[in-house]
Amino acid sequence: MAGREVDGALSLLLTQFIAALYYNERHHDLQKFSPNDKIPELKQDQPPEVDTLDPEQFKAGQLELARDLITKEQQIEYLISTLPGLDNSERDQLQMIRELEEELGAAEQQRQEALRERDEVLKRLDGLVRLIRRH
Amino acid sequence: MAEEEDTNRVTSTWPDPPPFWKDFTPENISRYDTLKSDYATAHSTPDPDSITRLPSIPEDLINLQPPPEPTDGKWRLYSEAQALTDTLQSLTEAGVTPLLPASINPSSQDSKHLDRSFELKKLAKSILLNYLELVGVMSHNPAHGAAKIQDLKTLILNFHHTLNEYRPHQAREQLIQIMQDQLDTKRAETAAIRGVVDKARRMIEGLGSLELPRLDDEVVTTGSIGGRETEERRRVAAERCTVGSVELEFA
Repeated sequence: MAGREVDGALSLLLTQFIAALYYNERHHDLQKFSPNDKIPELKQDQPPEVDTLDPEQFKAGQLELARDLITKEQQIEYLISTLPGLDNSERDQLQMIRELEEELGAAEQQRQEALRERDEVLKRLDGLVRLIRRH
Repeated sequence: MAEEEDTNRVTSTWPDPPPFWKDFTPENISRYDTLKSDYATAHSTPDPDSITRLPSIPEDLINLQPPPEPTDGKWRLYSEAQALTDTLQSLTEAGVTPLLPASINPSSQDSKHLDRSFELKKLAKSILLNYLELVGVMSHNPAHGAAKIQDLKTLILNFHHTLNEYRPHQAREQLIQIMQDQLDTKRAETAAIRGVVDKARRMIEGLGSLELPRLDDEVVTTGSIGGRETEERRRVAAERCTVGSVELEFA
């Protein structure tokens, strides 16, 4: 699961990249290069190219987006460090699987043995109960 | 009505099956089976079913056995290349610059993933830094952004690739986890059974020690009151036994 989480976090980060770019592109202020430049007046039915925000509000938005980006990146790093079994090599893993396989077999044998014992005791108990009832 | 349907069916028949279906006559199949078991006895293979192909086979029976595995491990199906071994396409093959140092070789059995997680973190940081650069470039000259986007793309693809290489490792890790869980459950179950068995044994022993002196009593006091008392005790003991077997889930 963990690998997929990292994947998902990266996708979110990339989406945030786009969102932040869009925010800057959409809400920036208009500047003049030289005093002679003029910001053209828009016609009534023409949709405005930019939706300029109040400078302070714009800055606050940028700050929030930047913070989110950094948080997301740190989350990715955290997720990477929680990936299971980073210090095992493939050989270690195969060895572990083999050992577990053997242990499982042994445990199953013990379980069967315990089941047999249980049945045996049950039979004895059953016999006793019958004996007592008959009296 | 029925005839109309029949004519419809004739006009839309399926294409004929491949011609070799005619070779699968009962006679041919039994001949093939005999050949197979003969071959098995000649090569002392216990199970004739484990043999998929006979090396020498009469021409008219050739269609009864499956074709051989492709020798180079590749074949084409619906004009798409297929391979026997499913391998992850390397970055170079996909036309992406690999950024990870070559020392981290995924195919080596002894390579640990610790270095790889470090590399992944470095990549994540680089992605963020490159984005910052991209925003900077875009604010000065949007036309120059393309190169930076290419860099970002390379970084992201590398990130994904490294993560994908980790997947088989993760699958094995999960298998280990599942096996460990199974082992724990099994052990717990065995311990629980043993506990109940011990309890039942103690109960049987307790029953024995309870009854023996009473039997002696009965011999001594032959009065009817004493007899009834022992019977009462026995009934209580018997009831306890049934409680014991309820615990054993065998009520």
